[in-house]
Amino acid sequence: MNAVTADRRHFEDLVVGETVDLGSTLVTREMILSFAREFDPLPFHLDEAAAKRSLLGGLASSGWQTAALTLRLLGDSFLSRIASAGGLGFSDLKWKKPVMKGDTISATATIAELRRSRHHPDWGIVSIDLDVKNQKGQPVMSMRLANLVETRSPEQGTQAQPEQPYDVEQGGAA
Amino acid sequence: MTRWFEDITIDEPFPLGSHTFTEDEILAFGRDYDPQYFHVDAAAAAHSHFGGLIASGWHTVLMGHRKMVDALDAEEVRLRALGQQPGVSGPSPGVNKMEFKAPVRPGDTVTYTLTVTGKRPSNSIPGWGLLFNSLDAVNQRGEQVYHAELVGFSKLRDYQTPLHLRVLEALTKIPGLGKLLTQRS
Repeated sequence: MNAVTADRRHFEDLVVGETVDLGSTLVTREMILSFAREFDPLPFHLDEAAAKRSLLGGLASSGWQTAALTLRLLGDSFLSRIASAGGLGFSDLKWKKPVMKGDTISATATIAELRRSRHHPDWGIVSIDLDVKNQKGQPVMSMRLANLVETRSPEQGTQAQPEQPYDVEQGGAA
Repeated sequence: MTRWFEDITIDEPFPLGSHTFTEDEILAFGRDYDPQYFHVDAAAAAHSHFGGLIASGWHTVLMGHRKMVDALDAEEVRLRALGQQPGVSGPSPGVNKMEFKAPVRPGDTVTYTLTVTGKRPSNSIPGWGLLFNSLDAVNQRGEQVYHAELVGFSKLRDYQTPLHLRVLEALTKIPGLGKLLTQRS
């Protein structure tokens, strides 16, 4: 038993269809500029004048920043409360609308699928659908994320299922 | 890509360079965006199956994006120095697939490579093409850290605006009529 995660929800405690409200976050000009300097130094994320001339029509966050801010919301409200054993990756990430300076984004997580690991009886895999909206209720981003979760009891539970598209043969990374 | 859509070669690897992840960077990213115990607390991380602190997979991905922006920028400078006009990249509609393969630990050096695996003219945006890109990250031991399949837009150099669109564009410049036309569409 892992001392850090012993008291958290494990694989057996999760239910398909469960929806978690992840709360919201305000995206400020300073946040956009500081993220862009570190990870996405394109003129239309760094400079208001260049942003006005671009297709985006104004200062907008990097799509990767929207994803990182959503990850933080997911971490605080969900991943840090379950016996997470690391992420396997994600699929179908869609940037639907730019997030502009001053927008507030809010997110929900829905458990889309639960399956036992084929190779590791101590792990299950949770697939999470993430939906992110702006303050007008318009969708700005969506994706499906796959994460490893520790099981309480390796013997119990559903039969092993084929693992596609993710394969945890080598163990999960982060 | 900084090349024009027409000039982009399929399956030709484009090196993006490397990055060494320090413990301080891993902790700072974890605190900002992914505060799970194996990303923010070395002592607690020892209890995980990783056996110690590891970088958030998203940290390694965002660094890969940074390396791509820098490498394409350098390529553009190089082309301009040769007297050539670089191509134009557009915004990305998304990521089809991202697979984390091996954890990145403090001191690991990750090398990134971009490969265009397919391309076709866009059906929805005239004058632009779609690029299907693979981004692969490998550590100093040759182990794959992640594999990503990304989609991007690239401008067509040889695109001729069809006559009916040029007529429409000219008409929208006439005051009054222009407003009517743009409201309709």
